[in-house]
Amino acid sequence: MSSPLKIIDEVGGGMIFLKEILSTAFKTPPDRESVLTQIYSVTSQSLSTTVASGFFVGAIMTVQFNAQLKQFDALSVLGGLSTSGTIRELGPLLIAFMLSGKVGAFTSAELGTMRVTEQIDAIRCLGTNPIQYLVVPRFIGIIISSFFLLFAGLLMSIVGGACLAVLVAGMNVTEYIHGIPTYVSWASVAGGLFKCSTFAILLATICTYKGYTTTGGSKGVGRSVVATALSTMVGITLLDWLTSLIIGAL
Amino acid sequence: MALEIKNLQKRFGEKVILKGIDLKLNKGEILFVLGRSGTGKSVLLKNIVGLMRPDGGEIWLDGQEITKLSEREYFPIRKKCGMVFQQPALFDSLTVFDNISFGIKKHFPQLSLEEIKDRVGRVLSLVNLKNVETKFPQEMSYGMQKRASLARTVAIEPEYLLFDEPTTGLDPVTTTAINKLIQSLSHTLKTTSVVVSHDMKCALDIADRIIVLNEGKIAAQGTPTDLRKSSDPLVRDFLSEAVGGISA
Repeated sequence: MSSPLKIIDEVGGGMIFLKEILSTAFKTPPDRESVLTQIYSVTSQSLSTTVASGFFVGAIMTVQFNAQLKQFDALSVLGGLSTSGTIRELGPLLIAFMLSGKVGAFTSAELGTMRVTEQIDAIRCLGTNPIQYLVVPRFIGIIISSFFLLFAGLLMSIVGGACLAVLVAGMNVTEYIHGIPTYVSWASVAGGLFKCSTFAILLATICTYKGYTTTGGSKGVGRSVVATALSTMVGITLLDWLTSLIIGAL
Repeated sequence: MALEIKNLQKRFGEKVILKGIDLKLNKGEILFVLGRSGTGKSVLLKNIVGLMRPDGGEIWLDGQEITKLSEREYFPIRKKCGMVFQQPALFDSLTVFDNISFGIKKHFPQLSLEEIKDRVGRVLSLVNLKNVETKFPQEMSYGMQKRASLARTVAIEPEYLLFDEPTTGLDPVTTTAINKLIQSLSHTLKTTSVVVSHDMKCALDIADRIIVLNEGKIAAQGTPTDLRKSSDPLVRDFLSEAVGGISA
Protein backbone atom coordinates (compact mmCIF):
# COMPACT_ATOMS: atom_id res chain seq x y z
CA MET A 1 0.00 0.00 0.00
CA SER A 2 1.38 3.43 -0.92
CA SER A 3 2.12 5.97 1.83
CA PRO A 4 -0.87 8.35 1.30
CA LEU A 5 -3.25 5.38 1.15
CA LYS A 6 -1.65 3.90 4.26
CA ILE A 7 -2.14 7.18 6.14
CA ILE A 8 -5.82 7.31 5.06
CA ASP A 9 -6.20 3.67 6.08
CA GLU A 10 -4.68 4.36 9.51
CA VAL A 11 -6.77 7.49 10.09
CA GLY A 12 -9.92 5.61 9.08
CA GLY A 13 -8.98 2.68 11.30
CA GLY A 14 -8.38 5.02 14.23
CA MET A 15 -11.76 6.72 13.74
CA ILE A 16 -13.60 3.39 13.60
CA PHE A 17 -11.74 2.36 16.76
CA LEU A 18 -12.77 5.62 18.50
CA LYS A 19 -16.40 4.94 17.56
CA GLU A 20 -16.05 1.44 19.02
CA ILE A 21 -14.57 2.83 22.26
CA LEU A 22 -17.34 5.41 22.63
CA SER A 23 -20.17 3.00 21.86
CA THR A 24 -18.72 0.43 24.29
CA ALA A 25 -18.25 3.08 26.99
CA PHE A 26 -21.87 4.25 26.70
CA LYS A 27 -23.44 0.79 26.34
CA THR A 28 -21.44 -0.92 29.09
CA PRO A 29 -19.76 1.62 31.37
CA PRO A 30 -16.39 0.39 32.66
CA ASP A 31 -15.70 -0.64 36.20
CA ARG A 32 -15.17 2.51 38.32
CA GLU A 33 -12.18 1.02 40.14
CA SER A 34 -10.27 0.29 36.94
CA VAL A 35 -10.89 3.86 35.68
CA LEU A 36 -9.64 5.31 38.98
CA THR A 37 -6.59 3.04 38.81
CA GLN A 38 -5.82 4.35 35.33
CA ILE A 39 -6.30 7.99 36.38
CA TYR A 40 -3.93 7.45 39.29
CA SER A 41 -1.43 5.59 37.12
CA VAL A 42 -1.37 8.20 34.33
CA THR A 43 -1.28 11.16 36.73
CA SER A 44 1.46 9.71 38.92
CA GLN A 45 3.55 8.74 35.90
CA SER A 46 3.54 12.26 34.50
CA LEU A 47 3.06 14.60 37.44
CA SER A 48 6.71 15.25 38.29
CA THR A 49 7.78 15.97 34.72
CA THR A 50 4.69 18.10 34.06
CA VAL A 51 5.25 20.15 37.20
CA ALA A 52 8.94 20.65 36.40
CA SER A 53 8.22 21.54 32.78
CA GLY A 54 5.38 23.86 33.80
CA PHE A 55 7.73 25.76 36.09
CA PHE A 56 10.29 26.27 33.35
CA VAL A 57 7.74 27.15 30.68
CA GLY A 58 6.40 29.92 32.93
CA ALA A 59 9.97 31.03 33.56
CA ILE A 60 10.86 31.05 29.86
CA MET A 61 7.73 32.99 28.92
CA THR A 62 8.52 35.59 31.56
CA VAL A 63 12.13 35.95 30.41
CA GLN A 64 11.08 36.34 26.77
CA PHE A 65 8.23 38.79 27.44
CA ASN A 66 10.43 40.73 29.86
CA ALA A 67 13.01 41.31 27.13
CA GLN A 68 10.33 42.86 24.88
CA LEU A 69 8.17 44.66 27.42
CA LYS A 70 10.90 46.50 29.27
CA GLN A 71 11.74 48.37 26.05
CA PHE A 72 8.26 49.92 26.22
CA ASP A 73 8.25 50.29 29.98
CA ALA A 74 5.21 47.94 30.11
CA LEU A 75 6.30 45.41 32.74
CA SER A 76 2.94 45.75 34.51
CA VAL A 77 1.42 43.43 31.90
CA LEU A 78 4.19 40.81 32.17
CA GLY A 79 2.23 38.45 34.46
CA GLY A 80 -0.92 38.69 32.35
CA LEU A 81 0.73 38.11 28.98
CA SER A 82 2.95 35.31 30.19
CA THR A 83 0.11 33.44 31.93
CA SER A 84 -2.34 34.02 29.08
CA GLY A 85 0.12 32.57 26.55
CA THR A 86 0.72 29.56 28.77
CA ILE A 87 -2.97 28.86 29.40
CA ARG A 88 -4.08 29.29 25.80
CA GLU A 89 -1.21 27.68 23.97
CA LEU A 90 1.86 26.32 25.67
CA GLY A 91 0.20 24.64 28.64
CA PRO A 92 -2.11 22.29 26.72
CA LEU A 93 0.60 21.62 24.13
CA LEU A 94 3.17 20.85 26.78
CA ILE A 95 0.86 18.48 28.65
CA ALA A 96 -0.01 16.71 25.41
CA PHE A 97 3.64 16.21 24.48
CA MET A 98 4.49 15.03 27.99
CA LEU A 99 1.61 12.53 27.95
CA SER A 100 2.52 11.42 24.46
CA GLY A 101 6.11 10.63 25.44
CA LYS A 102 5.32 8.90 28.71
CA VAL A 103 1.76 7.60 28.81
CA GLY A 104 1.19 7.20 25.05
CA ALA A 105 4.28 5.08 24.56
CA PHE A 106 3.59 3.10 27.75
CA THR A 107 -0.04 2.36 26.88
CA SER A 108 0.81 1.38 23.33
CA ALA A 109 3.58 -0.97 24.51
CA GLU A 110 1.37 -2.46 27.25
CA LEU A 111 -1.58 -3.21 24.96
CA GLY A 112 0.75 -4.28 22.13
CA THR A 113 2.47 -6.81 24.40
CA MET A 114 -0.91 -8.12 25.54
CA ARG A 115 -1.92 -8.50 21.89
CA VAL A 116 1.18 -10.37 20.72
CA THR A 117 1.20 -12.65 23.77
CA GLU A 118 -2.45 -13.55 23.05
CA GLN A 119 -3.70 -12.08 26.34
CA ILE A 120 -6.31 -10.03 24.47
CA ASP A 121 -7.56 -13.14 22.65
CA ALA A 122 -7.67 -14.93 26.01
CA ILE A 123 -9.83 -12.15 27.46
CA ARG A 124 -12.28 -12.59 24.56
CA CYS A 125 -12.28 -16.36 25.02
CA LEU A 126 -13.07 -15.95 28.72
CA GLY A 127 -16.21 -13.99 27.83
CA THR A 128 -15.06 -10.41 28.33
CA ASN A 129 -14.97 -7.57 25.79
CA PRO A 130 -11.33 -6.39 25.78
CA ILE A 131 -12.36 -2.92 24.58
CA GLN A 132 -14.50 -2.56 27.69
CA TYR A 133 -12.01 -4.21 30.04
CA LEU A 134 -8.71 -2.80 28.75
CA VAL A 135 -9.23 0.12 26.38
CA VAL A 136 -12.10 2.18 27.81
CA PRO A 137 -10.54 2.61 31.31
CA ARG A 138 -7.23 3.69 29.74
CA PHE A 139 -8.99 6.04 27.33
CA ILE A 140 -10.99 7.75 30.10
CA GLY A 141 -7.97 7.71 32.43
CA ILE A 142 -5.77 9.59 29.94
CA ILE A 143 -8.45 12.24 29.26
CA ILE A 144 -9.29 12.93 32.91
CA SER A 145 -5.63 12.90 33.95
CA SER A 146 -4.72 15.41 31.30
CA PHE A 147 -6.99 17.97 33.02
CA PHE A 148 -5.35 17.35 36.41
CA LEU A 149 -1.95 17.64 34.81
CA LEU A 150 -2.95 20.81 32.94
CA PHE A 151 -4.04 22.37 36.22
CA ALA A 152 -0.80 21.35 37.98
CA GLY A 153 1.35 22.47 35.04
CA LEU A 154 -0.37 25.86 34.79
CA LEU A 155 -0.09 26.47 38.51
CA MET A 156 3.62 25.75 38.36
CA SER A 157 4.04 27.93 35.27
CA ILE A 158 2.64 30.87 37.27
CA VAL A 159 5.05 30.04 40.09
CA GLY A 160 7.95 29.78 37.61
CA GLY A 161 6.93 33.01 35.89
CA ALA A 162 6.62 34.86 39.20
CA CYS A 163 10.04 33.61 40.38
CA LEU A 164 11.72 34.83 37.21
CA ALA A 165 9.78 38.10 37.32
CA VAL A 166 11.35 38.71 40.74
CA LEU A 167 14.82 37.55 39.70
CA VAL A 168 15.08 39.02 36.19
CA ALA A 169 12.57 41.86 35.95
CA GLY A 170 12.92 43.08 39.54
CA MET A 171 9.13 42.89 40.09
CA ASN A 172 7.47 41.70 43.26
CA VAL A 173 5.14 38.69 43.24
CA THR A 174 1.97 40.70 43.97
CA GLU A 175 2.69 43.00 41.04
CA TYR A 176 3.17 39.99 38.74
CA ILE A 177 -0.01 38.21 39.85
CA HIS A 178 -2.05 41.41 39.87
CA GLY A 179 -1.70 41.68 36.10
CA ILE A 180 -3.00 38.17 35.39
CA PRO A 181 -6.81 38.78 35.52
CA THR A 182 -6.50 41.59 32.96
CA TYR A 183 -5.29 39.21 30.24
CA VAL A 184 -6.57 35.84 31.40
CA SER A 185 -10.29 35.78 30.71
CA TRP A 186 -12.71 32.87 31.11
CA ALA A 187 -12.62 32.61 27.32
CA SER A 188 -8.88 31.95 27.32
CA VAL A 189 -9.30 29.35 30.09
CA ALA A 190 -12.09 27.69 28.06
CA GLY A 191 -9.84 27.78 24.97
CA GLY A 192 -7.03 26.06 26.90
CA LEU A 193 -9.40 23.41 28.22
CA PHE A 194 -10.81 22.84 24.72
CA LYS A 195 -7.32 22.31 23.33
CA CYS A 196 -6.37 20.09 26.23
CA SER A 197 -9.42 17.86 25.76
CA THR A 198 -8.96 17.50 21.98
CA PHE A 199 -5.27 16.66 22.39
CA ALA A 200 -6.11 14.11 25.10
CA ILE A 201 -8.79 12.42 22.98
CA LEU A 202 -6.38 12.25 20.03
CA LEU A 203 -3.57 10.84 22.16
CA ALA A 204 -5.80 8.31 23.94
CA THR A 205 -7.23 7.13 20.62
CA ILE A 206 -3.88 6.77 18.87
CA CYS A 207 -2.04 4.97 21.66
CA THR A 208 -4.83 2.51 22.41
CA TYR A 209 -5.48 1.90 18.69
CA LYS A 210 -1.82 1.31 17.84
CA GLY A 211 -1.35 -0.95 20.87
CA TYR A 212 -4.56 -2.90 20.34
CA THR A 213 -3.84 -3.58 16.66
CA THR A 214 -0.19 -4.57 17.11
CA THR A 215 1.02 -7.51 15.04
CA GLY A 216 4.40 -9.12 14.53
CA GLY A 217 5.78 -10.07 17.94
CA SER A 218 8.25 -7.95 19.88
CA LYS A 219 9.34 -6.07 16.75
CA GLY A 220 5.70 -5.23 16.17
CA VAL A 221 5.43 -3.79 19.68
CA GLY A 222 8.47 -1.63 18.97
CA ARG A 223 6.92 -0.46 15.70
CA SER A 224 3.66 0.40 17.48
CA VAL A 225 5.44 2.49 20.09
CA VAL A 226 7.38 4.42 17.45
CA ALA A 227 4.24 4.90 15.35
CA THR A 228 2.36 6.12 18.43
CA ALA A 229 5.05 8.68 19.26
CA LEU A 230 5.25 9.91 15.68
CA SER A 231 1.51 10.02 15.02
CA THR A 232 0.68 11.77 18.27
CA MET A 233 3.36 14.44 17.79
CA VAL A 234 2.23 15.18 14.23
CA GLY A 235 -1.45 14.88 15.13
CA ILE A 236 -1.19 17.17 18.16
CA THR A 237 0.67 19.82 16.13
CA LEU A 238 -1.96 19.72 13.38
CA LEU A 239 -4.78 19.76 15.91
CA ASP A 240 -3.17 22.73 17.67
CA TRP A 241 -3.29 24.67 14.43
CA LEU A 242 -6.89 23.60 13.79
CA THR A 243 -8.13 24.41 17.32
CA SER A 244 -6.34 27.78 17.20
CA LEU A 245 -8.27 28.58 14.00
CA ILE A 246 -11.57 27.50 15.61
CA ILE A 247 -10.95 29.46 18.83
CA GLY A 248 -9.83 32.49 16.79
CA ALA A 249 -13.00 32.39 14.71
CA LEU A 250 -15.30 32.29 17.79
CA MET B 1 -22.05 -34.90 15.39
CA ALA B 2 -20.44 -32.48 17.88
CA LEU B 3 -18.48 -30.27 15.53
CA GLU B 4 -18.74 -30.14 11.77
CA ILE B 5 -16.75 -27.89 9.46
CA LYS B 6 -17.84 -27.52 5.85
CA ASN B 7 -15.65 -26.06 3.12
CA LEU B 8 -13.95 -23.58 5.47
CA GLN B 9 -11.95 -20.89 3.68
CA LYS B 10 -9.76 -18.13 5.04
CA ARG B 11 -7.41 -15.70 3.38
CA PHE B 12 -5.25 -12.80 4.52
CA GLY B 13 -5.03 -10.36 1.62
CA GLU B 14 -3.75 -12.28 -1.36
CA LYS B 15 -2.56 -15.22 0.74
CA VAL B 16 -5.04 -18.08 0.96
CA ILE B 17 -4.59 -19.93 4.25
CA LEU B 18 -7.50 -22.40 4.32
CA LYS B 19 -8.70 -23.70 0.96
CA GLY B 20 -11.85 -25.54 1.91
CA ILE B 21 -11.52 -27.65 5.03
CA ASP B 22 -14.13 -30.33 5.75
CA LEU B 23 -14.07 -32.24 8.98
CA LYS B 24 -16.36 -33.87 11.50
CA LEU B 25 -15.74 -34.48 15.16
CA ASN B 26 -17.68 -36.79 17.47
CA LYS B 27 -18.40 -36.15 21.14
CA GLY B 28 -15.53 -37.17 23.39
CA GLU B 29 -13.05 -37.57 20.54
CA ILE B 30 -9.45 -36.32 20.66
CA LEU B 31 -8.55 -34.96 17.23
CA PHE B 32 -5.00 -33.96 16.42
CA VAL B 33 -4.39 -31.43 13.63
CA LEU B 34 -0.83 -31.74 12.36
CA GLY B 35 1.02 -29.77 9.75
CA ARG B 36 4.05 -27.65 9.11
CA SER B 37 4.19 -24.00 10.23
CA GLY B 38 1.96 -21.67 8.23
CA THR B 39 -0.46 -24.34 7.02
CA GLY B 40 -3.40 -22.76 8.85
CA LYS B 41 -3.69 -24.98 11.93
CA SER B 42 -4.03 -22.13 14.42
CA VAL B 43 -6.26 -20.22 12.01
CA LEU B 44 -8.60 -23.21 11.97
CA LEU B 45 -8.92 -23.14 15.79
CA LYS B 46 -9.37 -19.36 15.91
CA ASN B 47 -12.20 -19.64 13.39
CA ILE B 48 -13.97 -22.15 15.63
CA VAL B 49 -13.99 -19.80 18.64
CA GLY B 50 -14.71 -16.70 16.55
CA LEU B 51 -11.38 -14.95 17.13
CA MET B 52 -11.22 -14.91 13.33
CA ARG B 53 -14.09 -15.04 10.90
CA PRO B 54 -13.95 -17.29 7.83
CA ASP B 55 -14.24 -15.94 4.29
CA GLY B 56 -16.35 -18.93 3.26
CA GLY B 57 -17.80 -22.17 4.56
CA GLU B 58 -19.71 -23.14 7.68
CA ILE B 59 -18.93 -24.31 11.21
CA TRP B 60 -21.65 -26.28 12.99
CA LEU B 61 -21.31 -26.72 16.74
CA ASP B 62 -23.88 -28.96 18.42
CA GLY B 63 -26.28 -28.35 15.54
CA GLN B 64 -25.82 -24.56 15.46
CA GLU B 65 -24.14 -22.71 12.59
CA ILE B 66 -21.80 -20.25 14.31
CA THR B 67 -19.84 -18.36 11.66
CA LYS B 68 -22.44 -15.58 11.30
CA LEU B 69 -22.87 -14.94 15.03
CA SER B 70 -22.17 -11.49 16.46
CA GLU B 71 -19.44 -10.97 19.07
CA ARG B 72 -22.12 -10.94 21.80
CA GLU B 73 -23.70 -14.14 20.44
CA TYR B 74 -20.31 -15.84 20.66
CA PHE B 75 -20.37 -15.55 24.48
CA PRO B 76 -22.02 -18.99 25.06
CA ILE B 77 -19.91 -20.55 22.29
CA ARG B 78 -16.71 -19.44 24.04
CA LYS B 79 -18.05 -20.83 27.31
CA LYS B 80 -18.58 -24.12 25.48
CA CYS B 81 -15.20 -24.07 23.66
CA GLY B 82 -12.27 -23.41 25.96
CA MET B 83 -9.11 -22.46 24.13
CA VAL B 84 -5.56 -23.04 25.35
CA PHE B 85 -3.24 -20.72 23.47
CA GLN B 86 0.19 -21.37 22.03
CA GLN B 87 1.62 -18.98 24.61
CA PRO B 88 0.44 -19.20 28.22
CA ALA B 89 -1.43 -15.89 27.68
CA LEU B 90 -1.84 -15.42 31.43
CA PHE B 91 -2.64 -11.83 32.42
CA ASP B 92 0.70 -10.70 33.79
CA SER B 93 -0.76 -8.06 36.12
CA LEU B 94 -2.93 -10.65 37.89
CA THR B 95 -2.02 -13.50 40.24
CA VAL B 96 -2.68 -17.10 39.24
CA PHE B 97 -5.82 -17.07 41.40
CA ASP B 98 -7.14 -13.92 39.71
CA ASN B 99 -6.25 -15.32 36.29
CA ILE B 100 -8.22 -18.50 36.90
CA SER B 101 -11.14 -16.79 38.64
CA PHE B 102 -11.41 -14.24 35.78
CA GLY B 103 -13.47 -16.54 33.57
CA ILE B 104 -15.29 -18.17 36.51
CA LYS B 105 -16.63 -14.80 37.73
CA LYS B 106 -17.80 -13.96 34.22
CA HIS B 107 -19.50 -17.26 33.43
CA PHE B 108 -20.67 -18.22 36.94
CA PRO B 109 -21.59 -14.91 38.62
CA GLN B 110 -23.72 -16.74 41.18
CA LEU B 111 -20.71 -18.43 42.82
CA SER B 112 -19.52 -17.15 46.20
CA LEU B 113 -15.86 -16.35 46.85
CA GLU B 114 -15.49 -19.60 48.79
CA GLU B 115 -16.90 -21.60 45.89
CA ILE B 116 -14.57 -19.79 43.48
CA LYS B 117 -11.58 -20.54 45.74
CA ASP B 118 -12.65 -24.16 45.88
CA ARG B 119 -12.95 -24.40 42.09
CA VAL B 120 -9.58 -22.69 41.53
CA GLY B 121 -7.94 -25.17 43.92
CA ARG B 122 -9.62 -28.06 42.15
CA VAL B 123 -8.50 -27.08 38.63
CA LEU B 124 -4.98 -26.35 39.85
CA SER B 125 -4.75 -29.84 41.31
CA LEU B 126 -6.05 -31.24 38.00
CA VAL B 127 -2.99 -29.76 36.28
CA ASN B 128 -0.69 -30.78 39.15
CA LEU B 129 0.04 -27.30 40.47
CA LYS B 130 0.10 -26.55 44.19
CA ASN B 131 0.48 -23.37 46.25
CA VAL B 132 0.75 -21.07 43.25
CA GLU B 133 -2.47 -19.08 43.75
CA THR B 134 -0.68 -15.95 44.97
CA LYS B 135 2.13 -16.10 42.43
CA PHE B 136 2.30 -13.83 39.39
CA PRO B 137 2.89 -15.55 36.03
CA GLN B 138 6.43 -14.16 35.74
CA GLU B 139 7.35 -15.86 39.02
CA MET B 140 6.72 -19.32 37.53
CA SER B 141 8.51 -21.43 34.94
CA TYR B 142 7.17 -21.55 31.39
CA GLY B 143 5.86 -25.08 31.89
CA MET B 144 4.01 -24.05 35.05
CA GLN B 145 2.53 -21.07 33.21
CA LYS B 146 1.28 -23.41 30.49
CA ARG B 147 -0.39 -25.60 33.09
CA ALA B 148 -1.91 -22.60 34.87
CA SER B 149 -3.25 -21.46 31.49
CA LEU B 150 -4.79 -24.89 30.99
CA ALA B 151 -6.33 -24.67 34.49
CA ARG B 152 -7.84 -21.27 33.61
CA THR B 153 -9.45 -22.75 30.52
CA VAL B 154 -10.91 -25.84 32.20
CA ALA B 155 -12.17 -23.73 35.13
CA ILE B 156 -15.13 -22.52 33.04
CA GLU B 157 -16.09 -26.17 32.39
CA PRO B 158 -15.99 -26.15 28.60
CA GLU B 159 -17.41 -29.07 26.64
CA TYR B 160 -14.73 -28.64 23.98
CA LEU B 161 -11.04 -28.05 24.58
CA LEU B 162 -9.05 -26.47 21.76
CA PHE B 163 -5.29 -26.63 22.20
CA ASP B 164 -3.04 -24.48 20.03
CA GLU B 165 0.40 -26.12 20.05
CA PRO B 166 0.29 -26.82 23.79
CA THR B 167 3.83 -28.19 23.99
CA THR B 168 5.71 -25.62 21.91
CA GLY B 169 8.76 -24.31 23.74
CA LEU B 170 8.68 -26.99 26.45
CA ASP B 171 11.38 -29.49 27.36
CA PRO B 172 10.72 -33.19 26.55
CA VAL B 173 9.77 -34.12 30.13
CA THR B 174 7.25 -31.29 30.45
CA THR B 175 6.00 -32.03 26.93
CA THR B 176 5.19 -35.60 27.95
CA ALA B 177 3.53 -34.35 31.13
CA ILE B 178 1.35 -31.88 29.22
CA ASN B 179 0.38 -34.51 26.66
CA LYS B 180 -0.67 -36.90 29.42
CA LEU B 181 -2.58 -34.07 30.99
CA ILE B 182 -4.50 -33.43 27.75
CA GLN B 183 -5.45 -37.09 27.59
CA SER B 184 -6.42 -37.34 31.26
CA LEU B 185 -8.39 -34.07 31.19
CA SER B 186 -10.29 -35.19 28.11
CA HIS B 187 -11.24 -38.40 29.88
CA THR B 188 -11.83 -36.92 33.36
CA LEU B 189 -13.87 -33.94 32.16
CA LYS B 190 -15.38 -35.88 29.22
CA THR B 191 -14.50 -33.10 26.81
CA THR B 192 -14.13 -33.20 23.06
CA SER B 193 -10.62 -32.02 22.18
CA VAL B 194 -8.93 -30.55 19.12
CA VAL B 195 -5.16 -30.34 19.47
CA VAL B 196 -3.08 -28.40 16.97
CA SER B 197 0.46 -29.70 17.08
CA HIS B 198 3.68 -30.54 15.27
CA ASP B 199 4.15 -33.53 17.51
CA MET B 200 3.31 -36.73 15.61
CA LYS B 201 4.66 -38.93 18.40
CA CYS B 202 2.20 -37.46 20.86
CA ALA B 203 -0.60 -37.64 18.29
CA LEU B 204 0.06 -41.34 17.72
CA ASP B 205 -0.03 -41.91 21.49
CA ILE B 206 -3.18 -40.08 22.49
CA ALA B 207 -5.25 -39.08 19.44
CA ASP B 208 -8.42 -40.88 18.44
CA ARG B 209 -8.06 -39.37 15.00
CA ILE B 210 -5.43 -37.30 13.20
CA ILE B 211 -5.66 -34.93 10.26
CA VAL B 212 -2.63 -33.58 8.45
CA LEU B 213 -2.92 -30.14 6.88
CA ASN B 214 -0.80 -29.08 3.94
CA GLU B 215 -1.12 -25.83 2.00
CA GLY B 216 -4.53 -25.08 3.47
CA LYS B 217 -6.05 -28.48 2.70
CA ILE B 218 -6.38 -31.80 4.48
CA ALA B 219 -3.60 -33.92 3.03
CA ALA B 220 -4.34 -37.05 5.08
CA GLN B 221 -6.61 -38.18 7.86
CA GLY B 222 -7.42 -41.27 9.86
CA THR B 223 -6.79 -43.05 13.12
CA PRO B 224 -3.20 -43.36 14.37
CA THR B 225 -3.20 -46.94 13.03
CA ASP B 226 -4.32 -45.72 9.58
CA LEU B 227 -1.63 -43.05 9.47
CA ARG B 228 1.12 -45.47 10.47
CA LYS B 229 0.31 -47.34 7.26
CA SER B 230 0.01 -44.22 5.09
CA SER B 231 2.20 -43.86 2.00
CA ASP B 232 1.63 -40.07 1.81
CA PRO B 233 5.11 -38.45 1.72
CA LEU B 234 4.13 -35.70 4.17
CA VAL B 235 2.71 -38.18 6.66
CA ARG B 236 5.80 -40.32 6.33
CA ASP B 237 7.96 -37.24 6.96
CA PHE B 238 6.08 -36.61 10.19
CA LEU B 239 6.26 -40.30 11.11
CA SER B 240 9.97 -40.49 10.50
CA GLU B 241 10.50 -37.50 12.79
CA ALA B 242 8.26 -39.08 15.41
CA VAL B 243 9.59 -42.61 15.50
CA GLY B 244 12.95 -42.22 13.84
CA GLY B 245 11.87 -43.81 10.57
CA ILE B 246 9.48 -46.65 9.89
CA SER B 247 9.62 -49.44 7.48
CA ALA B 248 7.18 -49.53 4.60
